[in-house]
Amino acid sequence: MNAVAFSVFIFLFLVVTVMGFAAARWRRAAALDNLDEWGLGGRGFGTFIAWFLIGGDIYTAYTFIAVPATLYAGSVTGFFAVPYTIVVYPIIFAFLPRLWSVSHRHGYVTPADFVQGRYGSKGLSLAVAITGIVATMPYIALQLVGMQVVLEVMGLQSSSDNWFVKDLPLFIAFVILAAYTYSSGLRAPALIAFVKDTLIYIVIIVAVIYIPHHLGGWGHIFDSAQSSFDDFNKTNADAIAAGKAQGRGIIPPPAAHWAYASLALGSALALFMYPHSVTGVLSTKSRNVIRRNASLLPAYSFLLGLLALLGFVAIAAGVKVTNPQQSVPQLFENEFPSWFAGVAYAAIVIGALVPAAIMSIAAANLWTRNIYKAFLNPNATPAQEAQQSKIVSLVVKFGALIFVLALSKDFAINLQLLGGVWILQTLPAIVVGLYTRWFHRWALLLGWAVAMVWGTWTEYDIASPTQAHFGGPLTTFWGTDTKVYVALMAFLINLVVTIVATIVMRALKVPDGVDATRLEDYSVDAGDTGVEEELTPETPAH
Amino acid sequence: MPSSRPLWIIVGILLIPPIVVPLLVGLYDKDDPRLWGFPFYYWFQFLLIPCAAAFTVTAYYVAKEAVRRDRAARGLPELDSKGERR
Repeated sequence: MNAVAFSVFIFLFLVVTVMGFAAARWRRAAALDNLDEWGLGGRGFGTFIAWFLIGGDIYTAYTFIAVPATLYAGSVTGFFAVPYTIVVYPIIFAFLPRLWSVSHRHGYVTPADFVQGRYGSKGLSLAVAITGIVATMPYIALQLVGMQVVLEVMGLQSSSDNWFVKDLPLFIAFVILAAYTYSSGLRAPALIAFVKDTLIYIVIIVAVIYIPHHLGGWGHIFDSAQSSFDDFNKTNADAIAAGKAQGRGIIPPPAAHWAYASLALGSALALFMYPHSVTGVLSTKSRNVIRRNASLLPAYSFLLGLLALLGFVAIAAGVKVTNPQQSVPQLFENEFPSWFAGVAYAAIVIGALVPAAIMSIAAANLWTRNIYKAFLNPNATPAQEAQQSKIVSLVVKFGALIFVLALSKDFAINLQLLGGVWILQTLPAIVVGLYTRWFHRWALLLGWAVAMVWGTWTEYDIASPTQAHFGGPLTTFWGTDTKVYVALMAFLINLVVTIVATIVMRALKVPDGVDATRLEDYSVDAGDTGVEEELTPETPAH
Repeated sequence: MPSSRPLWIIVGILLIPPIVVPLLVGLYDKDDPRLWGFPFYYWFQFLLIPCAAAFTVTAYYVAKEAVRRDRAARGLPELDSKGERR
């Protein structure tokens, strides 16, 4: 453990902690005891704040650790993160303003609220809510995995065999996070997101200029990655031919094109089905902020691409780690002066706190609105709703913590893989529902159920050279030998089942349910009839 | 008041290339030509980012005009230059 790096790290962590608690007073509202305030930050964030907040959702600590790790490990497929974050913005542009409008007119806090209002079906809304919660939980757990990797490289883990003592620093960081999320709600991650992104931008820009300069330029970096992969392929030629190891390279072979494209498209479609992304979007003050952000957010894609390439930089710099996830923190440790390494560690750890807070708030809102209020206490007051959400946000976070520490890390990673498959299956109900009500509610539920079962079973069956189950996100497309992202295939099944079942339901004249929304609800803006202005009654304190 | 329909069609068309082009991996799975040491595969995808943003920014301005026409047609108040209610 390096004292300078450690001091810088602790200093930045303390700054963020103070900000997290102070956030409760930022853009102060009369009361924090309702979900619009605690769970959506007063629904008053403009372009600037929303840019950081939504960026904090998409570019998480786990992304920073895992994406370069795949490149380090020789699988160029990991670079799909770049096309994925290009493709996602036109998609946001198209449908999220409609979700914003209808949610503001009707006071919806979660995507499941919208489904309930649109289809008049508590069952379908429950399905969407549960999918959202189970898909988000492992995502939170992975933020912890990201933090854990950094703490390991910093040498902050004691060698004790007791899982609690061993990960005490992680535990402390998490207790602090839980406390300020509890007291400040969505305002805490929104405020901290500024620090997070500023630090990450500085670290990445320095890393991609300073380190390659030391190592002889980018051309040399790509060449050394290539030659290291060529060596690997030569020594392991037999194992690769037998399917016991994966060939490595810096450019995907033609056979991997569809894998690359389908991962990018599937992930882009899934991203805004995650409840935490919806939370970020609904916290904006006007529908225009969303479109403007869809045009500005690609700046992050650039960052992510450069970050991914640090995996190759680590190879060229001679970083040797058995766990590829440690490659980037180890690269910082080796190449940076210790004070700047401290900044870099803090950037990644704070990069885990922001999304973990937003995700736990989003999952808590789903529980409160679509399970607690829908089934357990229909007459809950806004204050009771906020109280439920606050407590559940704690439960969710500690659940994730116990998960990672006491159970296996791989289990969390497998579940996150499944989470992507699962969450995409809520798209027909949410996105298609924004445009047309042609799909029948029971057909949507059936399509969802079939796709969930098929997707889970298919994932379970995928073996990799190192794992018997959940070996990766790809499987062969029906009737071909091309590998494709499982989530996208499950989504196709979902659509086909939903369409066929809708025709059957219509023929049988099964009742359609009541639609609480009207056509004009999908295009209203802040200040229009029935849409409240910024919900903060007092002038913002800053 | 002119109709907003042609504008929404333009918005739709503008959003297609940034979704489709990045998915056509066969277009760019090459090493040469290199740029500042980056293989074509990498610098092309980086180049796609500002190009895609140019499409969405254009779509943003077209959509703003379309929204203005839609609101006028429904007798709703105008939005200010930031697209918000005055």
